[in-house]
Formats: sequence, C-alpha cells, structure tokens
Amino acid sequence: MPNIERRDFLKLVGAGSVGVGAGFYLRESIKHPMEHLIPHVVAPEDFSTGIDTWYNTVCSMCAAGCGISVRTREGRVKKIEGNPSHPVSQGRLCALGQAGPQVLYNPDRLTGPLMQTGERGSGAFAQITWDEGLSKVADRLDLLRAAERGNRVCLLSQGVRGHLAQLFERFVDQLGSERLLHYDFDHPHTLYAANQRFFGEQRLPYYDLKNTRYLLSFGADYLGSWISPVHHSLGFGHSRQGRPDVRGRFVQIEPRMSLSGAAADEWIAARPGTEGLLALAVAHHILSKGYYQGADRADWIAVLAGYTTTEVAAQTGVPAETIVRLADAFAQTQPSLAIGGGSAGNHSNGVDTLVAVNALNYLVGNLGKAGGLVFNPEPAGPTTHPHQASYRTMLEFVEDARRGNIEVLIVNGTNPVFTLPSAAGFAEALAEIPLIVSLSSFLDETTALADVILPSHTYLESWGDDFPEPGVGFPVGAVSQPVASPLYDTRATGDIILGLAQRLDMNDVLPWSSMEDCIKDGWRQIHERGGGDVRTESFESFWRAVLTAGVWGEETHRESTFTLDKSVIAGIGVQAPEFSGASDDYPFILHPYLSTTLHDGRAANLPWLQELPDPMTSVVYGSWVEMNPVTAKGLGLTEGDLVDIESPHGRIRAPVYVYPAIMPDVIAMPIGQGHAEYGRYARNRGVNPIEILSPQMEPQTGSLASSATRVKITATGRRAELVKTGGNSRDLGRNIVQTTGAGQHSANLNSIPITVIPS
Amino acid sequence: MNVSIVPGLRALRPAALVGGTLFLGLLVGYWANATWYPGTSPEQPIEFSHRIHAGENEIPCMYCHTQARRSISAGVPSVSKCVGCHKEIATERPQIRKLMSYWQNEEPIPWIKVHDLPDFVHFTHKRHVSAYARAAGIECQTCHGPVETMDRIRVTSRAIDGSFQLDTPWEMGLCLNCHRQHQVEHGTDCWTCHK
Ligand code: SF4
Repeated sequence: MPNIERRDFLKLVGAGSVGVGAGFYLRESIKHPMEHLIPHVVAPEDFSTGIDTWYNTVCSMCAAGCGISVRTREGRVKKIEGNPSHPVSQGRLCALGQAGPQVLYNPDRLTGPLMQTGERGSGAFAQITWDEGLSKVADRLDLLRAAERGNRVCLLSQGVRGHLAQLFERFVDQLGSERLLHYDFDHPHTLYAANQRFFGEQRLPYYDLKNTRYLLSFGADYLGSWISPVHHSLGFGHSRQGRPDVRGRFVQIEPRMSLSGAAADEWIAARPGTEGLLALAVAHHILSKGYYQGADRADWIAVLAGYTTTEVAAQTGVPAETIVRLADAFAQTQPSLAIGGGSAGNHSNGVDTLVAVNALNYLVGNLGKAGGLVFNPEPAGPTTHPHQASYRTMLEFVEDARRGNIEVLIVNGTNPVFTLPSAAGFAEALAEIPLIVSLSSFLDETTALADVILPSHTYLESWGDDFPEPGVGFPVGAVSQPVASPLYDTRATGDIILGLAQRLDMNDVLPWSSMEDCIKDGWRQIHERGGGDVRTESFESFWRAVLTAGVWGEETHRESTFTLDKSVIAGIGVQAPEFSGASDDYPFILHPYLSTTLHDGRAANLPWLQELPDPMTSVVYGSWVEMNPVTAKGLGLTEGDLVDIESPHGRIRAPVYVYPAIMPDVIAMPIGQGHAEYGRYARNRGVNPIEILSPQMEPQTGSLASSATRVKITATGRRAELVKTGGNSRDLGRNIVQTTGAGQHSANLNSIPITVIPS
Repeated sequence: MNVSIVPGLRALRPAALVGGTLFLGLLVGYWANATWYPGTSPEQPIEFSHRIHAGENEIPCMYCHTQARRSISAGVPSVSKCVGCHKEIATERPQIRKLMSYWQNEEPIPWIKVHDLPDFVHFTHKRHVSAYARAAGIECQTCHGPVETMDRIRVTSRAIDGSFQLDTPWEMGLCLNCHRQHQVEHGTDCWTCHK
C-alpha cells in the first residue's frame, strides 16, 4: 500500500466527490425537460384537444368590414383567414387583417382599468377596479345630466357600425348631449358629399371592378388603402384574368405611383389637385365627339365649355392627345368605370373633383349596371356616417373645449392626438377638459392623456355586428363573435357603455344586460323582417346559422332608375386647387399617403406589419420621403440623406428615398409611423407627416385637404441608411431584365416549339 | 547536457491523480443517475395504475383517451371523466380521495408527460389508430409498450427486431423501421413527419 499523505487523501476524496456530483448533474441537465399534461377539469363542448375549431367573425382593422375565419386551437387564436362566404372578402384578407392575432396577443395591451395618478401625460397610472372606474365616470355624468349640462359630455369614437353605433347614439342622447363624434383620418367625406350631390344618396355605391373592362381611377389607391382594398383586389384580379375573352384595362391618374398605379396598364401623373379638371376634359371630349346623346346634352355642353382638352392639358400637365385617347377608350369600351378618391379627393376642390368623376360615369352610361357603378340598397342595420366628424367639426370641438364647454370626453378607439395635424391644437385643448376617459385597448397618444382608462376587448374577444359600407350591391350583415375568451381584465366597448348606462338608470332605452344581448336583440328584428338567405322559423336556429356562416345577406339587385337633376349639371365645375404656403418659400407639394401596412398608424404596434416591406419601396421599420431623381439631383441628395421637411406648420426629419414614379415638384411620405406612445413596437420610429399638414379644408365638407400642403426641403448633411429588402433598382450589367428587339422577338416566337396539352 | 522530462512528470503526478479521480467520479455520477434516476417513469401526482384500469378491468384505451382517433394528440381525460366512475367506485382509497380533492377544488391534475416527441416531429395519433393502421395490426401497445401491465407508465419503444425496449425513447430510425415494414405510403419522405 503506497504511503499517502492525509492532505493528498483529502484532495482525492474531494476530487472524487466533485466528479460524482458533476457527472450526476451532467446527465440530469441533458434529460428531456419535464412537461405537464394538464387535463380539463370538465371537458369543454366547443373544442377538442389538438383539433382546429374555426369561427367566423368580422375584421375590424379598417372600415371595409371583411369577413374572417379564425382558426383556434384549445381555445386560443392561431391564425386568421378570409371567410369564403363573406361577399366582401370572399376568403381573402389583407396584411392588416392577417396581423389580427398580434392585436390580441400584443404585449403592450392594457390589462385592466387604470387611473392617472400624476400629471396628465406623466404615464403614472394606478390600477383600479371596474366598479371604481365605472362609478367614477358615471357619477360625473350623473351630476352633469342632473344639472342639464349633459351637452358638455362628448363621445368621440372611431367609426363603428352596427348596433354598437346605435348604442352610442342612444347613450349620448340619454345624457342630453348632441356630441357624438366619429373621427377617422381616412374617412372619405368628400366622396360621400360628391355622391350626395350627384346621386342624392348619403352612401357609397358599389364600384363593380370585377366586371368592368376599362377603369379610370382618379387618385384612388383601390388596391392599397382605398375603402375596401381586399374586395377591390378580388375585382381587379377577376377583371384582368378571370374572364377568358376579356382583359380589363386599368388607368391610374395620380401624382405619385401607388400600388394601384404600379398594377395599372397606364399610370398618368396629373398635377396634384387637377384630377377633376382632367375628368371634365374627358367629359368635354365625350360630348364633343357625340358619344353622349341624352336629352340634357345641351346643358352639359354649356357647363363644360371651359374645359377643352387643350386648356386642361396646360393646367394638368397631361398632353391633350392623352386626354383624347383616354376619353375615346373610356366611352367606347363598355362597361367602363371611373372612380375617384384618395389624394384626388383631399384637395380644396375635392368634392367638385369627385362630382366630375361621377359625371363621367353618367355620360357614358355606367350607372346601375354590371361593370359600372351599382347603387347600394339601404343598409340592413345601423350605420354612423351622419356622425362622422370632419376636420372642421373637430376644430369646433377644439374651440368648445378651449372655452371650457366640454367637461367629460369619452374616447373610443380613435387617436386624434396622432391623426390630427398639430395645427388643430387638439392635444392642447384636451388640457381644458376636466375628465378624459379612454376605452382604448392600447396606450396610444390620446389615451396617455386620459384620466381614467377603461380598456376594451380587442375585436377578437367582443360581440358586435357590421353592415359593410360600401356594400356589395345587395344587403349584407355580419355578426362578430368572440373567438377567444378575454385574455385580460378588459370589457367589450358595448359592455362598458352598458355598464355606465345601468349606473345612470337608462334601462328603458338601453335595456340590455350585455352587448351580446343587444346584438341578439337587433338581429331578432332582422329575423322578423325576413329576407336574406337564411330563412328559418325560430330565431334560435336563425341565429345559429348566422353565427356559423359569419354573414347574412341576400343576392338581390336593387332596381334603380336614375334621373339627374338639371341643377346638378349646372353646378359642375372644378376650381384650381389651393395650397397653403407660398410656392416660392415652399416649392414642393407634400403627398402624404396611407401606408399599405400601417394604415393611418393604427397598425404601427404590430411587429409583423412593421417588418413587412412597403410594396413600392421595400422599406421596413421607418419613415422616408420619396423624391423624383431629378429633384434629388437638383438638391444634391441621394438615398439615405436626412432632410428636414418643413411646412408653415411644422418640421419633421426623414431620409430620402429616390423614387422615379413621382412628379418632380411633389414629395410623398407614408403615414403610420412617428408614434410617441402606443407600445414598444410603435414608439420612437419614424415621423408622422400628419403633424405638419396645413389646416387647409375642402370648404363644402370641412374635411382636411390633406394633399394640399406645401413644404420645403433642407438637407441636414446627415445620413440614415434606409432598411429595405430591395437592392438596386438598376440593372448594372447584371442582365436581370433581358431585352430583345421586336424583330428578334417575333422570330423567336415562331421558332418556339409549342406543345398543346389536351384538356 | 542531459535533459530529462522525468522530474517534470513526477511533479505532475499528484495533479494527474486528482484529475483522474475527478474523471472517474464523473463517470460514476453519470452512471448512477442513468441507472437509478432514469426519469423515464416519473412519479405522477396521483398513483394512477394502467395495470388496474386497462389490464384487470379491460377498459379500452380510447374510453379515456377519446381524442386519439380524431386528433393529433390522444388527450388526457378530464377530471370529470375520472370522477364520473369514481363517484361510485373505490371511493375510500387514498388515491381516489386525492382525485376528489382536485375535483372539489376545481383544479386539473398536473400529470407529467412520459411519452414526448420533439417539437419538430409532426406525429398524429389519428393516423396511427385509423382503420388502416388497425388492419395492419398496429395497436396502442405497438408504440407505447405493454401499458396494461404497468402500474406507473414508463418510456417504452420498439427495437428494430420488434422487441420492446424499456426506458428508451422513440427515435427516427425506429419510426422509419416500422414505416418500411408496413410499406407506408410516403412513409419515408422527410415532409411526412417534419413539416
Ligand atoms: S381590408 Fe384588410 S384590414 Fe380592412 S377589413 Fe378587410 S382584411 Fe381587415
């Protein structure tokens, strides 16, 4: 036995034990981690583990009202697709709609009622209970109502439709207030007004892109963001490729090429605000060529006398030959369709411009027929268009608030601090309102200034219903049902209002105990009225059928004989657009456009959409300013140069993106970024062009002429590399786009062996 | 000059000895863990016995695991299902009392998962208990081992030669082996299991 010293012995024992321990834990650490199998206490009836359950409901990410089918697994939302039975979306969906789960699972959602404890905007909030929150608000409302000062309460909401709209109306009315405002930056006020003037209807017609052969679009980015992009995309696809013998032609007239411009057969840049003049020149040509032979022909000739193609060519910058060509094609290709909106409607002459576009449809006989413009029937349920607040209405509100005439403001879903120009002074006016209550699900810029936050469910957790506007030519309604149990201590907007109503004893006009009740009650009436494709004896089976299908409707077509009033013809005419700011000081016209992904900024908190490249520039995560190469060269700028964009009302800073498809004196910026609040994904990213817009209005509607701001550009000498997925837009000898001469091409064609596959 | 490394080595000897012991210890520790704590048959919150239920009482597997024929997962029975029988049966046993206390507290039983495939494997029970599979002689036991003899469930798989191997989880080769034997259509395509 070798002699071993005590010290060495202890060393060895130590090493041995450390080794054993380490070995034990080594294996322990590479073991499969323990997982649990948690059973239900009582098995649920509406799903089975591991099996998808689909629920049909309604997308609420924009005002189009597409039907969606939500895939859920074990009671959780997994994926959203389009509802194939819904006539608006027909199984399709846009990027915004797809991103719905990120609204539900957003880490920045408000998880329960809050009360501001510090200064407004300090971000110091304390949790309160629903009872405390509702009582606090109800008590104040009760006092005001008792003192007959109910009109000092304002409910300011995003546009909502269906029975929630009705609930709002009744609630505000019961308070004795007339201040029910719906504010959305993108609400097409001028389009409604133009249709009211021309057709005498306060609703949008159905634009039948699907069956048209020739589309003239004046500024309406119908594939990207205009009114109902998913439905328009379906129509566009069908018109282009869905018919064996015809391929629709699409012409887009706008100063900056949008997604629709890129998809069109022809993109024509008219000077901003002159789209209406162009439309009238087309009309002029239609009349002078004798394409129109109606009884009121003489009236038209008289009113259009000043809009000859040559004159208008000079004003719009579009050559007279082009105008003639468009007019000929538009009149001779039947059915054709003219639509107008977007930037064309957002000028000081917006309504007149869109009336001129309607006139085109009238003159070539596109009204009330397939492939043209189809009149919509009365919607089957409540809508809120009458309460849509224009910019002027919002200014009046601001003025009232400043004078101390507003004592309680309840904000639901809309975010005017972000979507109103700073010139409106909305945020400052809020300071004069003693109590601001927000029902938003997120801490957006407006909610950050609220005193009490009663957070609402997301649309995937709430009951609701919708009657899409514009409709699809026949009555459609859809019920929106909760597809997941609420994740947090939030409540449906309707339930919050009902909670207040109960505390204020409004039971006789608002008798429902919950929003579900209210919706069901509304649909009971629809069932009793009859009609629609679901016909059942009992309401219960009707209700089940509607919930299962997710939609209710009736494919009938409204017979309409349209006669135009002579006074309308006499009122036709388009003034030159007005811009604010002198053109010497502010040489460029700012063209702000709704982002295809972030919309008006409401989707900036969804990372999927932040990282989705803009379809035209491929830029992600930020703002940029689009500039014609000639302009950029003149200013000595290249892509990524940071510039200051300054209007008479403010200044923002963004990097340049050199964009060939924009007029040289126009610069374009996407709306959507530039949030100061609204969660981790939205905050401090890019800039908000709405901020610097001039308070120029369209005088008839009072809506914001958001495309009528002049700006100047100053280089800062600094750079910010744009994050984008696109590489260089030039070929650089890489032979990516291969070209061949015409002669060579036909020779090639003849030599290509063609195999005919028998069907 | 004579240079030798021997003195140097000699000086290193104590360190080598310590290192060697450490390494030996490591092996012993690893082995001990693998032998006595294989973790392939974890103790469950309730000592539920498949031997009594599936073996002695011959309750069909899918009486409790109702999802297997319809879903990717076989599903564990809800607490109410257990209570459904045990309201009447063996109510005095301590384990049943435990079950009842879960039931009264409206709490789920936190069973520990024994058979677990990695997340990158798309396995569906539905296919493997379909009429085709049954016609080919595939039973629950084919993959899960002789469950009806086990008091506590233990990881089991089937070796290439068809014998059960206890404490050894399923691996790709074993799945493929069976797919080949039964000539499963697309049974060896990557995308069949990895999608
Ligand atoms: S267009 Fe997109 S965001 Fe709007 S409702 Fe349809 S899917 Fe939703």
